[in-house]
Amino acid sequence: MTPPLLRATDVSVAFGRGADRVRAVRGVSLAVEPGESVGIVGESGSGKSTLARVLVGLQRPDEGTVELRGRSVFEGEGAYPGALRRQVQMVFQDPYTSLNPRMSALDAVAESVAFHDRCTRAQARDRALALLGDMGIPPGDAVKKPRLLSGGQRQRVSVARALAAGPSVLVADEPTSAIDQSAQAQLLNLFNRLLRDGLAIVLISHNLAVIRYLSRRVHVMRDGEVVEEGETERIFGAPSHDYTRTLIASIPGREAAGTEVSPQPTTRDGNADRRIDLQAL
Amino acid sequence: MTAPLLDIRDLRIGIRRGRRPPLVIVDKADLRLGRGEIHGLVGESGSGKTMVCRSLIGTLSRRGASVLSGSVRLGDLDLATADEAMWRTVRGRRIGYVTQSALAGLNPVVTIGAQLKEAIRQTGTTGADADRRAVELLDRVRIRRPEIVARQHPHQLSGGMRQRVMIACAIATGPEIIVADEPTTGLDVTVQAEIMKLLKAIQAETGVSVILVSHDLALIDAVCDRITIMHAGTCVETGTVAQVARPRHPYTAALNRSRIELAAPGSELRTIRGRPPAVGTWAPGCRFADRCDGARPDCRTGEHPRLAPVADGHMTACPFPDATEAAA
Ligand SMILES: Nc1ncnc2c1ncn2[C@@H]1O[C@H](COP(=O)(O)OP(=O)(O)O)[C@@H](O)[C@H]1O
Ligand SMILES: Nc1ncnc2c1ncn2[C@@H]1O[C@H](COP(=O)(O)OP(=O)(O)O)[C@@H](O)[C@H]1O
Ligand code: SF4
Ligand SMILES: [Mg+2]
Ligand SMILES: [Mg+2]
Repeated sequence: MTPPLLRATDVSVAFGRGADRVRAVRGVSLAVEPGESVGIVGESGSGKSTLARVLVGLQRPDEGTVELRGRSVFEGEGAYPGALRRQVQMVFQDPYTSLNPRMSALDAVAESVAFHDRCTRAQARDRALALLGDMGIPPGDAVKKPRLLSGGQRQRVSVARALAAGPSVLVADEPTSAIDQSAQAQLLNLFNRLLRDGLAIVLISHNLAVIRYLSRRVHVMRDGEVVEEGETERIFGAPSHDYTRTLIASIPGREAAGTEVSPQPTTRDGNADRRIDLQAL
Repeated sequence: MTAPLLDIRDLRIGIRRGRRPPLVIVDKADLRLGRGEIHGLVGESGSGKTMVCRSLIGTLSRRGASVLSGSVRLGDLDLATADEAMWRTVRGRRIGYVTQSALAGLNPVVTIGAQLKEAIRQTGTTGADADRRAVELLDRVRIRRPEIVARQHPHQLSGGMRQRVMIACAIATGPEIIVADEPTTGLDVTVQAEIMKLLKAIQAETGVSVILVSHDLALIDAVCDRITIMHAGTCVETGTVAQVARPRHPYTAALNRSRIELAAPGSELRTIRGRPPAVGTWAPGCRFADRCDGARPDCRTGEHPRLAPVADGHMTACPFPDATEAAA
């Protein structure tokens, strides 16, 4: 059997010592395959970002392993040796703090292209422009500094920058939390397209509606542990853990009275009606 | 409809620039807030929601802005022309305010109890009575061990606790209106649900009216009685939650369509083309025209359309009924 694209096994991370010791991640395992999105939900402090940092190699786990197509990611001192590095890229919650304020969107993406591929400056710019165009950022906006872009545009710039590495896995840590609803719809459409093109996406969010929409499988985290995992549809329909029930009950997405919901289109996997009636929960 | 508690009409807010014409940020804002109503104010970021809120508590000048024309009636008062003396009788007394960031709204170096007492003092209560009342208010917003929390500083509390304290401050003077500007943006869904439950409970207990600002339609639907939708500095549709669920303005229809909780997983989400025109770049006519599937040449001339009734309590700023169908 071929190993999964990205697999974390029994990963644990603790910070601090003695009484200050925080066990941020405790024995978490997950796997993601090409073209698939795995969701991670949980309240703040539940360890989601720490897990994300482990997956992209920014945080070495105290215990457990991370493997990319069966190859261990934390070899020797560093993480993601050689050509593996570019394979797993991260998108952060707040693109405002993760983008250099003095660099135009185009320069930021071109820099990432040039970092990962040997190419001329002109080639890097062309590729960056194409990537940004794909993300719905026209050349006129691409030359702007982050502060002149909308929140949604900034987030799509950081996705473009991550894609410039040519990754096979994208780890997105709360990518929609800082943007408004219509920008969120644009970003999710984009993620859907990337999934269809074979990218794997680990999607972290405390918004269950976002997870439900994009991720076929979900892991529910609490206090560093995964308390429930499985098919998103099943977990939303019949949560087995109290904590999951609380999360689901917190979704304000009850349907407005009188809203007509169109007949369910067929979804990616050919299943009709994977919609979950939030009001019934 | 009986006389509303608060009546905002044709409100224009902008930045005066000496001899040049003012930079208009909000134009033709209309909002009627009924007694005991929770009224949602919705729109993409930059649509002018916070500016409208600021016009209700007299803090526009802190952003360099002011009311250019229109009226904001609260009983006999017109807040559009209020001076600082009038604001002192309204702000934090008749109208309480809850901001998005409780850290910005609370003083970091003053204890929770002292900040509450500051608000309580406006009602004439001082000393030990004020101490008691502060604890009572914390209890009111369902904070456990209120005596201990009263002695703490804002940074010692979680984001959700801080928002509860903000709500306690806002209700300290027994206001007629609470303006809550994105009170739960950035908080966990579970905390958000608790804060919303609290707001609803406080409303029911005290009869206060609430203006709740959010860009989250699902949240607004779940909590509010009525909704007003803003786009590019103007109000484009208003009605009850049920009325607005059957929108009569193409922008509202587009917002409804982009909601993920109503979409099938993985289905293509409909998005709204482009962005709202930026302040200072508004062309004549309807400011939604560049994004509207139902736009026609008439839409790009003259004044921006005003809200006009389509049913009892339901108003739209789009004069072309078929345009919304084109968008749906
Ligand atoms: N660098 C760090 N040093 C110390 N504690 C940390 C560090 N990073 C995270 N933590 C702690 O680990 C826990 C999990 O944090 P985090 O992974 O950021 O959770 P989430 O992303 O779910 O909000 C929290 O208690 C947090 O305070
Ligand atoms: N001092 C200012 N100068 C110029 N534009 C401003 C100023 N203050 C606010 N604006 C603009 O006014 C618009 C409305 O802002 P705001 O009321 O904060 O919107 P919202 O709360 O709906 O996100 C925004 O486009 C903002 O850029
Ligand atoms: S049809 Fe015309 S007036 Fe109505 S929303 Fe569209 S552009 Fe505006
Ligand atoms: Mg996090
Ligand atoms: Mg605002």
